[in-house]
Amino acid sequence: MGGLQKKKYESGSATNYISRNKARKKLSLSLADFRRLCILKGIYPHEPKHKKKVNKGSTAPRTFYLLKDIRFLLHEPIVGKFREYKIFVRKLRKAYGKAEWSGVQRMKENKPAYKLDHIIKERYPTFIDAVRDVDDALSMCFLFSTFARTGKCHVQTIQLCRRLGVEWMNYIITSRSLRKVFLSIKGIYYQAEVLGQTITWIIPYQFAHDHPTDVDYRVMATFTELYTTLLGFVNFRLYQTLNLVYPPKLDGQGEFSLKSECEEDYALESESYSEKLAALSASLARTVPSVEDEEAELDHFPAEGVKKKKKNLEQNKQKKLFEGLKFFLNREVPRESLAFVIRCFGGEVSWDKSLCIGSTYDETDETITHHIVDRPTIDKQYINRYYIQPQWVYDCVNGKILLPVEEYFLGVTLPPHLSPFVEESEGDYVPPEKLKLLALQKGEKPPEEDEEEEEEEEDDEDDEEEDDQSEDEDEAEDEASLAEMEEKRAQGKSLSVKVTPGKVKPENRMRTEQEEKAEEKRLAIMMMKKREKYLYDKIMFGKKRHVREANKLAAKRKAHDDANKPDKKKKKKKC
Amino acid sequence: MAAVRRHKRVAAAQPGFLPIKSSLDGNSSVIKRRKRVNKNKKKSWNRFSDIQDVEEFLDDVRLQERATGGLIAEKTDDTLFFVDTGETEEKDTQAQTTVKKGKHSKPLRIDLILQPDSHIQAPKNVLAFQQPNAKKQRRISERAAKLAAMGVLPRREKLLQLRSAAAASGLSVKEHPVANNNPDRAFYDLWSAGTPETADPYYLEQTKKKLVKRPDRLNEKPSVLPAVEVIAPGGSYNPDFFSHQDLLREAHEVELKKQKAEEKLARQLAVNEDKATEESTFKEQVEGLIEEEEIEPQEPEGDTEDTVMGPTATQEKKTEKQRKKEKAQRIKDLQRKVERQVIDKQQQLFQLRSISASVKKQEQRTEMRQAQRKVQQEAQKSMPRRLGRLKFQTPDLDVQLSDELASSLRSLKPEGSILKDRFKSLQKRNIIEPRERARFNRKYKLKYSEKRAFREIE
Repeated sequence: MGGLQKKKYESGSATNYISRNKARKKLSLSLADFRRLCILKGIYPHEPKHKKKVNKGSTAPRTFYLLKDIRFLLHEPIVGKFREYKIFVRKLRKAYGKAEWSGVQRMKENKPAYKLDHIIKERYPTFIDAVRDVDDALSMCFLFSTFARTGKCHVQTIQLCRRLGVEWMNYIITSRSLRKVFLSIKGIYYQAEVLGQTITWIIPYQFAHDHPTDVDYRVMATFTELYTTLLGFVNFRLYQTLNLVYPPKLDGQGEFSLKSECEEDYALESESYSEKLAALSASLARTVPSVEDEEAELDHFPAEGVKKKKKNLEQNKQKKLFEGLKFFLNREVPRESLAFVIRCFGGEVSWDKSLCIGSTYDETDETITHHIVDRPTIDKQYINRYYIQPQWVYDCVNGKILLPVEEYFLGVTLPPHLSPFVEESEGDYVPPEKLKLLALQKGEKPPEEDEEEEEEEEDDEDDEEEDDQSEDEDEAEDEASLAEMEEKRAQGKSLSVKVTPGKVKPENRMRTEQEEKAEEKRLAIMMMKKREKYLYDKIMFGKKRHVREANKLAAKRKAHDDANKPDKKKKKKKC
Repeated sequence: MAAVRRHKRVAAAQPGFLPIKSSLDGNSSVIKRRKRVNKNKKKSWNRFSDIQDVEEFLDDVRLQERATGGLIAEKTDDTLFFVDTGETEEKDTQAQTTVKKGKHSKPLRIDLILQPDSHIQAPKNVLAFQQPNAKKQRRISERAAKLAAMGVLPRREKLLQLRSAAAASGLSVKEHPVANNNPDRAFYDLWSAGTPETADPYYLEQTKKKLVKRPDRLNEKPSVLPAVEVIAPGGSYNPDFFSHQDLLREAHEVELKKQKAEEKLARQLAVNEDKATEESTFKEQVEGLIEEEEIEPQEPEGDTEDTVMGPTATQEKKTEKQRKKEKAQRIKDLQRKVERQVIDKQQQLFQLRSISASVKKQEQRTEMRQAQRKVQQEAQKSMPRRLGRLKFQTPDLDVQLSDELASSLRSLKPEGSILKDRFKSLQKRNIIEPRERARFNRKYKLKYSEKRAFREIE
């Protein structure tokens, strides 16, 4: 026995944590600077398990940091820069107060600045770490680049964000790594696969800003500061991997074609090059003249599996989705997004000269295959091109195939724009549009839809189809189905009693195999322990319930469609 | 000082010394009788030694110095006397004065009065001429000279030379670091493998040439949530009917929950309305006038009973016999208990099956609980933590109602703000703590007053 009595709060969690204010004092920084430092260094507050112990008996809610983290912060050279900056501001204020303008000038020239390079290197020790974490950076950069250049944040930051965003988009175009696009009510979600990492980012629609008041702009600006630095380095490295020149340069051909006579109308001399880059219509210059290396097959290992190869093949096919197609964007469609997406899949794109810098061909070009319009009618139509709504492009990208254009013609009610980010597991409710898409992907005509249309036609004869092509198809199918029915009838008739020579029933190997498997499974279920059986039953029940719900939804949808059909038809008739 | 004084005394002792004051001469004649006092103490010495003559003499010397700028005895004759040659000089002076006459030339009388009339120079401020740290400075300069002789230049000099050399060779002098948000800033390959450091890592760390290694713990993300959460399929600009309905239902449920909470709060805060109606006022006025017969209170009886009931007054002492009896009873009970236990133990042998069943059951329960806890912990990883004074508030779901949905991409009206979305996402992922905007607090009340000019017009 004996020994000193242990005092409270002198060991354990009470000493592992430090409150924010104490940490701030330890670093001798103001709260704003402390917050900035934590964001830059990636030190996050921590919720202790036993708050009362950590708080020395008090239950007041506080922000805690791990003491070790704060100790680590003490070594940061930027802390010194923060203090320097504080002094700088004080001196500057004083000079202003005394109206010493020469002093102000001198001080401004010697404004202390710091670099975040070492922090980026420290937080992302390898390049792939940085790529993995670039989602946030992209979203933030694209967001900031859409801000108005007044107030709220520095103009320079906005310009830098814009530059980095354009660089990124150019990289994605050149590497053809875009995978998914989703037009939501918030903004446009993109997903790309860069160096094996799936990267998702969101870009706001143009001119969609009201500045919310409950957002701390200072915090956001700090994050942007970090993320711009990160994205800059990532871009540089990515450009290097593709042998592209950094900072990006248009290749000779593109530059020539873009050299229009009246480019002063769009931008200043100093800005016109960056604007041209931002137009996304020309490809970039490479350090090594490009040999068609896209085709270079990876070394094929037998162990790799067929599935992977198939996937690769599919991806290659997707990359060339729009190759050979020539698009023209009308002025009311979102130009940047569409140009980006189309160019990502190898299409050519242009727009009206007065819309933006960097248009490559005119509306009158005869080789244009698709004209993207987002208005109910258009006056002058060329006969050798499709006039479609912008959703077609996005749906094609998500479907990985060129969808039939009929559903996207002008003035037609569009099919729903489905989210490509939803992955249905087995037994989930799948909307019929998606089912159709899946069928199309497999290369078969969607059967039930056609049948439905058939029925429709049978139901009312005067239903008019607007395009001849589909009508022809329908007719052909009609004939086919008629023939089938006749055959069936014929079979039915031949059911009279007859004695036929016996045939050896051909044994269906597959079927027997399946049966065997089913039998095995049944036996296995029977042999289960009681506990396992219980669990199994539960799982199966859950699955069944899931399926039941999905079926219910599907039925509901069918009912809804049926209910809507007369309306649609009425509309059509009106048209 | 002492030297000067001695000099003066010597001068005075000389035969040609002329005192200005006459009293100095009569000083010697008045001699009092000497009083015998011990002057072995400083106090008595000071008190009884007669220094008046010395004082007077010194006063005289000072006076002379003040008035003439030195001892008159030492002055040359030229300075003391002049030959009076008549009016010529006077004329001259007059002419000068006439020339200088004017308001500006004449100093003010007050200034003249305030002018020091002493001929002695004011003593110099010694400290003003003394160099602080002279010794140290001297040593430093000596050392610098010694080093320069050896060929070692101070740092500043060296840097200056380097800079001038760089400027001469045409290379640009090292510039200020570029601001982080400069749109033209250059990037480089940050992750290229540079030359590996060969020096001692401890040395490098101590001399701040190498940063302290970042602990791996810090590279873990505080939440498992993805950085960009994609909106539900119902949030498409042209959604599928059912997914849209799903999203709407979700939003509806959230809204319902909110409403319920609000209603509950309102219910709890509602004031119990006890307003006076006509009937009640009438009753109050009539109170006591009507004889109340029906309402006979029955309670008093009960009350009285209650008051009577209380702790019993006194406990009687137990007799010896009773005590013994109780003790025997106690022992008996104990024995019975022990016996019962023994029997129970024996019986348990036959209950083995049920016991094992119960144990199994218990085990199962703990297992289940463990699993549950694990699931909960997993769920916790994606939950926003409580990081400060405020709790994380989930933002409202971004939803467009069926009639708000745009018919085409052109007419789409974006919903919500991505900036807010990003901000909330950061909070949700425990990267920053939720905060509320700091309110502006005025320290002093504003005071309004009409300007006088304005008041006059009215």
